[in-house]
Amino acid sequence: MRIPLLCGALLLAAPAAAQLRVDINSGISQPMPIAVPSFPAAAPGTTAAGTTDELGQRIAEVIANDLRSSGLFRPIAQAAFTTQVSNADVLRPQFAAWRTVAAQALVTGNVTANPDGGITLACYAYDVFAGVELTRQGFVTTAAGWRRAAHKCADLVYSRLTGETGYFDSRIVYISETGPRSKRIKRLAVMDQDGAGHRFLTSGQNLVLTPRFSPSQQQITYMSFEGNRPRVWLYTLGTARQEAISQSSAGQFQGMSFAPRFSPDGRTLVFSMAVNGNTDIYTLDLGSKRLARLTSQPGIETSPSFSPDGSRIVFESDRGGSQQLYIMGADGSGQQRISFGDGRAASPVWSPRGDLIAFTRFGGGRFAINVMRPDGGGERQLTNGYQDESATWSPNGRVIMFQRSARGGSPALWSVDVSGQTERRLPTPLGASDPAWSPLLD
Amino acid sequence: MTSSGTLAAARLPQPPPVRGSEGRALALAGAAHVVLLVALSFGWQWTSTPLPAVDEIMPVEFVDIADAPRVTQPPEPSIEAAPQETSAPEPTPPEPAPEPEPAPVPDPVPMPEPAPKPEPKPQAKPKPAPPKPEPKPLDTQTLSNLINKALPKAPTKPLNTSDLAKTIQAAQPKNAAIDPRAAATLAQAIRAQVAPCWNPPIGGADVRKMTVLIGAEFLPDGSVTGTPRVLGQTGTSGQNGDYARAFAETARRAVLRCSPLKLPADLYPLWKSVEINFDPEQMT
Repeated sequence: MRIPLLCGALLLAAPAAAQLRVDINSGISQPMPIAVPSFPAAAPGTTAAGTTDELGQRIAEVIANDLRSSGLFRPIAQAAFTTQVSNADVLRPQFAAWRTVAAQALVTGNVTANPDGGITLACYAYDVFAGVELTRQGFVTTAAGWRRAAHKCADLVYSRLTGETGYFDSRIVYISETGPRSKRIKRLAVMDQDGAGHRFLTSGQNLVLTPRFSPSQQQITYMSFEGNRPRVWLYTLGTARQEAISQSSAGQFQGMSFAPRFSPDGRTLVFSMAVNGNTDIYTLDLGSKRLARLTSQPGIETSPSFSPDGSRIVFESDRGGSQQLYIMGADGSGQQRISFGDGRAASPVWSPRGDLIAFTRFGGGRFAINVMRPDGGGERQLTNGYQDESATWSPNGRVIMFQRSARGGSPALWSVDVSGQTERRLPTPLGASDPAWSPLLD
Repeated sequence: MTSSGTLAAARLPQPPPVRGSEGRALALAGAAHVVLLVALSFGWQWTSTPLPAVDEIMPVEFVDIADAPRVTQPPEPSIEAAPQETSAPEPTPPEPAPEPEPAPVPDPVPMPEPAPKPEPKPQAKPKPAPPKPEPKPLDTQTLSNLINKALPKAPTKPLNTSDLAKTIQAAQPKNAAIDPRAAATLAQAIRAQVAPCWNPPIGGADVRKMTVLIGAEFLPDGSVTGTPRVLGQTGTSGQNGDYARAFAETARRAVLRCSPLKLPADLYPLWKSVEINFDPEQMT
């Protein structure tokens, strides 16, 4: 305490000119070069998923691919490395060697085959130029769980280097499409965020649309024509339980329901329902099963999406003559238009960070993914395909996934970071539409 | 970072093979339709049809790997064999914090801000004082310590008071003789060389309001000696501590990556010790 005070006194006594001060107001904006060499085995071992050496190689590839896909990192090609990492190097990296390949950070670690058949992945990140460790974490999982451990390691590194939460250990649910347009087979499918671990959830017998994850990751809500009646369904992962939200023919609601989404706390569903030719937005309390009608305009109100604090809902409506975006309180109060400008605006989805709303902008015969602030300002176009639509946010609000269709072609899933700079296509076995990103897995 | 809480999801039932179950699902769907017809004549219903139970989410458990020495200093030649850091699944005791005692950095030295010398800054807005209007200001002292703590010990003591006094005395007469334009040119030269090395995380939500002041010492050949230190930071709040740390590290990295700087040797006393303020506001 005394030293700083003394320094302060001395500095005050002397003119400050002794200290040269430089202001830097500009920099570069480039992906950070990062080295992710193969993870060595802590000791040679074999698991059901391969040897520890093989796993170490594949884990490094998954991590590098995750980091690259964010647009914020540029993993350096392994061929350029002047050194590899031995198990001893994991704790004492050869920083000088990594500096020569211009790596600013190094991700390394090792893999252990555990006696119970599982693995332990030890994950470390280093600042190469400062020569210091930035973070470390161990992950224990089954042999088959090595990908998740790799994603967790990538999330750890991403989070430490950017200061934001990661999103790599997450999944995508979407609609798999195949067949001619007149006889399209649409199936619910789920996969990891990087396209791995792909599985079909439904047989394709019934048309399914607009799947959305619940915040708990354990449920998916979607619209299905099962029973020849378009309705909102809830599917609980792991239990094989699929429930339809249906209503009495004798009751006051008889129409079709669609475009469902969960509230951020997972207790409420918000969706559209068409009753007597009028489509409005409703909420359903999943506990009490109480239904509330939020809009009552004669037009079509649909695509509702909650703000991350649950206090507001953005939706689309044609009440003004064309599809535009509106915001209202979670109880339907204070409805207000927020989208203006050329063309129509539809399918809004609120960022998990709360700062932006992504939506589809129609104009000039094209569909693009745009973002804007919840007050309607700062609109930016992120994508420039022929037909880009159906945006969904990564759990940290830094990446948007969407469906892109070429003229006359099958749709595919693409992602773009929120700066609009890094686009990539996700591998899917068939055509793919209507993606929804899960929350970060626990 | 080393929390040992078990975050693993409970293991859920294995799914039946999806393709094989389609026939059965079909039959079930048919049956469900019948059930539906009946159900629809009642009030709110929760009809249920089975879908394949999908959950191959493998549990992942977080464990400490803390029994290995942490690299916070340049590697020393001989280290006793590092213990295997592959701890057993059960959480290990909290890691012995590797804190080197708070570095005796004369941290936020109350700088007599805007130097009376009017530096002809080309485009810099005059910044009277870094505003700290955050409702819940983060303890920047703590943050600086956090960042500096991870640094290798600089071979040269950053500052001690007698050095400082000497520096000031030495600089004073010189200073009087130095053309302020020379200082400005020097600042320009440093800026031109360091800015291309600075890659701030401009996508961050709080980046516009963030600045960081870095102190760096240079050798006569223009290379950085020791590791640049965080002297102060603005725009930090209780909510963005992780981001503030990552932000400050990009500035530190910029100075290290650009070393050595090419600067006029005859002005060395002037650039032996430099404070660099990184402000990305105009970048976004």
